[in-house]
Amino acid sequence: MPLVFVILSALLIASAVGVILFRNPIHSALCLVVNLVGVACVFAALEAHFLAVVQVIVYAGAIMVLVVFVLMLLNSKTEERTLSGVIQLVLSGIIGGCLVSVVGPFIIEQWPIVAREEPPISGSVEALGKVLYTDYIFPFETAGFLVMAALVAAAMLAKTKGGDPNHPRISEGKNDGTIQAGGEQ
Amino acid sequence: MNYDYSAYYVLLSLVLFTIGTVGFIVRKNAIVAFMCLELMLNAANIAFVALSRRVGNLDGEIAVFFVMAVAAAEAAVGLAIVIALFRNLETTESSDAMELRL
Repeated sequence: MPLVFVILSALLIASAVGVILFRNPIHSALCLVVNLVGVACVFAALEAHFLAVVQVIVYAGAIMVLVVFVLMLLNSKTEERTLSGVIQLVLSGIIGGCLVSVVGPFIIEQWPIVAREEPPISGSVEALGKVLYTDYIFPFETAGFLVMAALVAAAMLAKTKGGDPNHPRISEGKNDGTIQAGGEQ
Repeated sequence: MNYDYSAYYVLLSLVLFTIGTVGFIVRKNAIVAFMCLELMLNAANIAFVALSRRVGNLDGEIAVFFVMAVAAAEAAVGLAIVIALFRNLETTESSDAMELRL
């Protein structure tokens, strides 16, 4: 087993467990950042260089900034650890362990470790761009439309109700387009 | 001589996916549940890249690219929903949102 795989998998599993065990959502988010950078390292180890860069820019950059921003905006409290919560965690952990131990041997059996002569494919920008802009041009354009639609939908969902003067937030006279969150406590 | 360790990476992806699923079930905070969703998407991405290398073409890596695009869209909409939830119910716990109509 290669050393880089051992180190990366230890990092990934530890940070993933951290995401679900930390009670403070900010700590979870920081663990998730470590996890996403670790996934980028896995992509680099698998010679998918373009995806490694995109992973850092899109996930660890854009999406995590959005998540941390919303966490701080909404002022999320630390979750209480109750007895039923611990029981839930232990039970679902046992079920998850069973799933891994049942499916895992099939995976090892399905793709045994082999030595290969030819160099593996390279996920360089050039190779990926060639496939993306020829065979997958229509899905690529569709993805563009999807992101556009999601942006408009997010703006619609998050905007305050502007036309209703009886809306409690607006009648308070404080609403100047910003979201009222956490500021009133 | 290159050895192909794709089975180990798929196994790692399985473990990470399971951890994400457990977190999604256990955690009550909607934003943390969303983060567990990201964990699951990333686990699937690792499997895609490992098997794409195994099979020998780039289709798996293209799939990862589209998963990332969808994840970005999902992040925008999901967090907007959480903000709307907080504005109406003063909470981010998914178990408090029990009515469809706010």
